[in-house]
Amino acid sequence: MSIDTHSAHDAHGASEGGHHEAPEVVDGRQRMGIWLFIGGDIITMSALLFTYLYLRGVNTGGHWRSMVGYIGHSYSYYQNATNLPAPSLVHVSTLSAGLNWSVSAIVVVSAAIIWAAERGLRASKNAKSYSTLAAVATIVTVLAIIFSIVQLRHIPQIYVAVNDSQTMSYTAYDSAMMVIIGSGILHLFILAFLGLGLTIRSARGVINGDKWYQARLVRMFWVWVAISAVIGSLVTTTIH
Amino acid sequence: MTTSNKKNPYRGMFLTWLVLTIAGVIVSIYAPSRLMPRSMSDNMHLTVLTMIVFSVAAAPVAAGIYAFAIHALRHWTHKGEAVPAAGPVVRENAVVVTTWLLVSTLLTVFLLIWGLGALAVDNGSSSKNPLVVDVTGQQWVWSFSYPGTHVQSNELYLPVGREVEFRVTSDDITHGFWIANMGVQVDANAGTWTTIHTTPNQLGTFDIRCTQFCGLNHAFMVTQGHVVTAQQFTTWLDSQPQRA
Amino acid sequence: MTTTLEHTTTDAAPLGGGLARRQNMATALVGGVLFAWLFWFLAHHFLDASSRNYSDLVSVSLTIGWIIGFWLGIGALNAPARWMMGRDNTHADDMYLAGQNQGKARYWKYCTDHKVVGVQYIIMTMVLLGAGGILAMAIRTELIVPGNHFVDQQVYNGFIAVHGLLMILALIVAVAGPWGNFVVPIMCGARDMAFPRLNALSLWTLVGAAGLLLTTLAVGSLSMGWVVLEPIANQAGVGMDFFAMAVVVFTVSTTVAGVNTICTVLTMRTKGMTLARLPIFVWGAIIAAALGLYAFPYFALVEAQTIMDRTFNTSFFVASGGGTGWLQANLFWLMGHPEVYVILLPAVAALFEIASVMARKPVFSYRTAIAGMTGLAGLSILVWAHHMFTTGWAPTLGGPFMLTTELISIPTGLFFLVLIGTLWRGNIWMKLPTIWMFGFIANFIIAGVTGIYLSDIPIDNQLHGTMFVTAHFHYVFVGSVLFGAVAALAFWYPKVTGRFLNEFQGRIAFWLAFIGVQVTFLSMFLSGLRGMPRRYSSYALIFEHTNFITTVGAYMIMAGMLVLLGAVITSWNKGEPAGPNPWHANSLEWMVPTPPPLENFTVLPVITEDPYNYGEELVRS
Repeated sequence: MSIDTHSAHDAHGASEGGHHEAPEVVDGRQRMGIWLFIGGDIITMSALLFTYLYLRGVNTGGHWRSMVGYIGHSYSYYQNATNLPAPSLVHVSTLSAGLNWSVSAIVVVSAAIIWAAERGLRASKNAKSYSTLAAVATIVTVLAIIFSIVQLRHIPQIYVAVNDSQTMSYTAYDSAMMVIIGSGILHLFILAFLGLGLTIRSARGVINGDKWYQARLVRMFWVWVAISAVIGSLVTTTIH
Repeated sequence: MTTSNKKNPYRGMFLTWLVLTIAGVIVSIYAPSRLMPRSMSDNMHLTVLTMIVFSVAAAPVAAGIYAFAIHALRHWTHKGEAVPAAGPVVRENAVVVTTWLLVSTLLTVFLLIWGLGALAVDNGSSSKNPLVVDVTGQQWVWSFSYPGTHVQSNELYLPVGREVEFRVTSDDITHGFWIANMGVQVDANAGTWTTIHTTPNQLGTFDIRCTQFCGLNHAFMVTQGHVVTAQQFTTWLDSQPQRA
Repeated sequence: MTTTLEHTTTDAAPLGGGLARRQNMATALVGGVLFAWLFWFLAHHFLDASSRNYSDLVSVSLTIGWIIGFWLGIGALNAPARWMMGRDNTHADDMYLAGQNQGKARYWKYCTDHKVVGVQYIIMTMVLLGAGGILAMAIRTELIVPGNHFVDQQVYNGFIAVHGLLMILALIVAVAGPWGNFVVPIMCGARDMAFPRLNALSLWTLVGAAGLLLTTLAVGSLSMGWVVLEPIANQAGVGMDFFAMAVVVFTVSTTVAGVNTICTVLTMRTKGMTLARLPIFVWGAIIAAALGLYAFPYFALVEAQTIMDRTFNTSFFVASGGGTGWLQANLFWLMGHPEVYVILLPAVAALFEIASVMARKPVFSYRTAIAGMTGLAGLSILVWAHHMFTTGWAPTLGGPFMLTTELISIPTGLFFLVLIGTLWRGNIWMKLPTIWMFGFIANFIIAGVTGIYLSDIPIDNQLHGTMFVTAHFHYVFVGSVLFGAVAALAFWYPKVTGRFLNEFQGRIAFWLAFIGVQVTFLSMFLSGLRGMPRRYSSYALIFEHTNFITTVGAYMIMAGMLVLLGAVITSWNKGEPAGPNPWHANSLEWMVPTPPPLENFTVLPVITEDPYNYGEELVRS
């Protein structure tokens, strides 16, 4: 039973980064981790699309994009209004899924930039130009976030009676779109954080032509987010 | 170390298994109908029968596990303070594994066939003219209405021997419509109808309870039902206040 | 027993200096409360207080603030921040994070040493089980006689949901948390988990989630079971928001832990440790982890959608907007059924290990054990709607789901085959782990058989929503999983502490718990058969005898658990000393000193055979 004095020379590979383990070994492990995380994310995306398709499937009669209520004014207008006519079936279609394609296109562009940047880094070993491209990809991602938030702000609210009170509410279609877009925004924030990290790290030379593994790890996840955005747009525009 | 009783564990184990199985089968045949509410429908009769069949099938399996455990504890435990010596090295036994798989699969398939059969019997609609009763659950009462009449009631009346189809819905949140004496249960959901049917075949009174947690007074969402003769049923319908 | 690390004087990181080095659970709590207040304040300031959703929005903001502050306070966000800024940990930083030279203080900190995380999980399991257990006793005390005498309905109804979720969370981590972390890396011949910082993250995120869940009790006003059915969940007060956020936070913890476990086992096995030579417990750990990765995203999503329905008035589950409660039920049970096997598999795999060591025989049909666990996990993905047989959803799918559910009994039966085959003609060493294992065997058959009843639709039409179901799953969770978890605790306790769990107290606890389980839950089956629905705060007179007996049994279980708790606490420092390999087993965790040093091995071993040869000199190079 030895007192732990081996730290002087033996492997400390267990600690993060494992600098006594070969970088390829650590990278292989981290790539597996990314794949597993993407796997979990695939399930999440499937669950989101399940929600969308399920609600679409049960609403063949027409509560998918419609709801009995009022539209066009704010909550306080309706709260203070007197002599409102009887609520009618309001059909809303202003939040088009076509906008999803715009967001997806922006995300695909940012993924393409980050992938091209990585290839360039491995070929030319120029960390500074990688840093610039990563910064561009990050800014493009932020654009996608802004676009998505704008999308959310355009979701129509319908003023309805619920039990004994009145409130603003959303149709099933808009609810499903909301959670899909919301999940997208969450993923985009993660991408923005990762992109910022790549920008700074490569500017400092921590990521460079010889140490590019982390760039690849991030790119793997980035490409997955782009793919999931495309799948989401595909489903929401073909089935509506 | 096991003694020279190498053959005995198996004989004793077999005997234990036999005794436990016989006891289990006897309990399986007599217990279900005595432990469950009085059967008042054909559904319930089939349900109780299914419980008997499943219990009888399970008895030898459970008995085997217990017989093994009892005899392992009697004959195969190490005595003394020293570390036990290694036991026989048996890593694999294809015959045992295959037999086990085969038996468990056959047992499962049998239970499945019985179950699907019972389900088919339950679902088979025999009558072209069932009595339709609309059941509405709301926090925290049940109400019943009889389409074709203007009768609405908080207690359920059913004529004996006539198939009844319950159409169940809710005014607010999900409730569970359950008649324990008749083996019928289906959720009451807001915004949609679910149906279940049965044929009451015993006169008497029964409870209707909510089985889906529905908030504060879930435990008190109980009402009574009555199976009466056809004549009494008509009399009751006529005596109910007519809703406009 | 002090660790061997406390007085090393190598290139240890200097203590003191730097805020990061002072972070621990106290700073985490302070951070959590501070940011919870901050986010509450901001929400309160910017939102219209008269809006119908004001209190829900404010509560959700508060909970988000809590977890961000908690993470900040414990230091979980230090590494991502440093990564982003291009500053990586130095070797000294890593050794500090691994707890070098910090003595007992490291158990309160964000420590990357998998053994420290394992011990922290033992504590968390006990905290969650204890809190859930107190609620269980409150529930049973209320139900000892009809009527509402102990607590009123509102309070009681809130207890049920929190008891349920606390126990579910406790059992998900009960075996996989402590032993998946402490033992699995050593069993593989690794120095730590694949991602040590993620390991600490998963533990402290669980603590954060537990904080939210326990707060629910104070905030109150829950209106549904832990299953959070909709649309009733929309009627609950703000406690529901805390509850749902606790789940969302918990899924972060479990996802991270699952990725970590799988990567560790697949990439960090030492030379010669082929998959076929791995101890069977490791297989159980990764199969459960993979199943959890599949299942828990549904849980996070369904709770997020519940929060959205409450705070934003979306219509996922509200019929008037086009939603349906059945969507909630499907999403929930898509998670809910695989989840019970995430709970069961580590316990069963630990018992395979214990059976082998205690009977001095190899695991019988190692391949069958793996096939059974894998088959169970795979099938479990296809059975979820058996929880929905009586909802009226898709009656045509009843038959197919009955088929898949009944098929699951086949791999479950294989577990008995492996256990029985391993114990058959063994030299069974009757120590604490063995005794609790036999308790599992006796209880699990009842759990399994009663599940088969419920898988049959005509029977389920009668028994769904009754105390029969409650008794069934308590035989699974209390009778089987808990007994397996205690067996695992008694088995690996000497490796953690260097002492045996007190044998005498452990046996008292066993008999109290075992008899208590039979008394409690057999009488509960009777209540259900007679017609008592579940989640009842009071009941009709015909159920009073069985309920009285059930409560008496519950008190027996509680007594047993208290004795066990006492044993765990007192044996830690005062128990009978055990050597590094008290059970004379062959897997790698018993080949290292007790407690294992930082990084486990001086020299990584090379493996030439599996650990199931007893009585022979295990040949290692």
